[in-house]
Amino acid sequence: MTIGAIRRNAPLWISIGAGVALWEIAGRLTSAAFMVPFSETLVRLWQLITRGEFLVQLFDSAELFLTGFVLALIVGAPLGMLLARVRLLRIGIEPYIMTLYATPMVALIPFILSLMGFGFAPKVLVVFLFAVFPVLYNTVEGARSIKPEMIEVAKSYRSTEWSLWREVMLPYTLPYMMTGVRQAIGRALVGMIAAEFFLSSTGLGQLIMGASQDFDTAGVFASILVIGLIGVGLTRLGLMIEQHFAHWRQ
Amino acid sequence: MFRNIDFDVAEREIVAIVGPSGCGKTTLLRCIDGLLPHDAGEIWVGNQRVEEPIAGVAMVFQHFGLFPWKTVFDNVAYGLRMAGASKAEVERKVPEFIKLVGLGGFETAFPYQMSGGMQQRCGLARALAVEPNVLLMDEPFAAVDAQTREILQFELLRIWDERPTAMIFVTHSIEEAVLLGHRVIVLKGRPSSIHETIVIDLPNPRTRATLREPRFAELREQVWGTLMREAREAEFVLER
Repeated sequence: MTIGAIRRNAPLWISIGAGVALWEIAGRLTSAAFMVPFSETLVRLWQLITRGEFLVQLFDSAELFLTGFVLALIVGAPLGMLLARVRLLRIGIEPYIMTLYATPMVALIPFILSLMGFGFAPKVLVVFLFAVFPVLYNTVEGARSIKPEMIEVAKSYRSTEWSLWREVMLPYTLPYMMTGVRQAIGRALVGMIAAEFFLSSTGLGQLIMGASQDFDTAGVFASILVIGLIGVGLTRLGLMIEQHFAHWRQ
Repeated sequence: MFRNIDFDVAEREIVAIVGPSGCGKTTLLRCIDGLLPHDAGEIWVGNQRVEEPIAGVAMVFQHFGLFPWKTVFDNVAYGLRMAGASKAEVERKVPEFIKLVGLGGFETAFPYQMSGGMQQRCGLARALAVEPNVLLMDEPFAAVDAQTREILQFELLRIWDERPTAMIFVTHSIEEAVLLGHRVIVLKGRPSSIHETIVIDLPNPRTRATLREPRFAELREQVWGTLMREAREAEFVLER
């Protein structure tokens, strides 16, 4: 790291350091029933990891997250392209998409529970519902914003409909789609925890719930810390994906 | 939209079309390219009637029409690939046309990295690469600055000398029309019709020296006079 980079990032590191210090002090001053210091959280986290329980739950959550997220992508992206191109379909379906996009998905969980019970499938559905609408919505908006001139160029060069999709519509829409993917990553994470809380308890959600029921405050904080870090990591990843596909959009 | 528009373009002829704003120059060109349907009259290219975009006709757009996610190479290759060219053909021809328009070395550049002039060179290469019999130019230099425009005009003349085609060149600029055109068609009014056709009897090839010839000034004045009568009438018409 150069001196310049250190100087640029100094406020960030100072801020993180201050936050950790504050956590440490607050944890030591309050009852262990409410909060534990940062150091104790790390110790507990290390215990959870070395006992192996943690990784099992992490993989459980990852499986749920990925299944729901990939399904959302598989459904959201092509459907979005189709809705952008077929006007009648869009007019018919758009109100539902807008309504569901605006609905807090957590509100649907009791309904999904009564409909599908406690298996893996209903949880996947929850993650899917959290993640699909940002992908769908951004894809539709992106594909619709394509300039008619570009389609005209394609027509002028005698493009077939298939080529128009592959060569023009899809590459043009990809950056918008990736904005949806970035948003969907964050929402899928929320959906994952919500599903693990309210449906059958598994994964990182269960780790928090279990620790909470055992009055293991350190365990709760350790899980929250990990979920937070995963969230930050995934959001960064989402941003990188988005920027990778949007380099030409200036 | 149009009335009594009837003209032919010979195989190696450049016809420039000028006319007041809103007289339908661009619309006419899009009809010729088959992008817009025409409900009366006929458009023929060779022995093929135009109902939709046909092979052998390529258009250069005012807004360049480049795909921003494609490199120069891929943009130039686009027309060829749509025409069904083989991979080997693309690999062979694309660099040739990139060089022809003076963009050699910029194969991997993206449009957003390039100036307007470079972008239009790329647009020109894309059109030329399909080796059309007819080149349709829709105010191709209207979106670039004055110096670049002048450079591109002479570049176009040089390229046309190397690979002559029939060309219909729509422009706002009288100077450009007279410099490039073997004939200048002046359009007028709405519905638009041909006001006058002026033969530009300047010697070929046209160069910078052409601009200094007395005959060039005469012809420019002639086109200007014709056009201004129209422009003045067109300016003071209220929309219905």
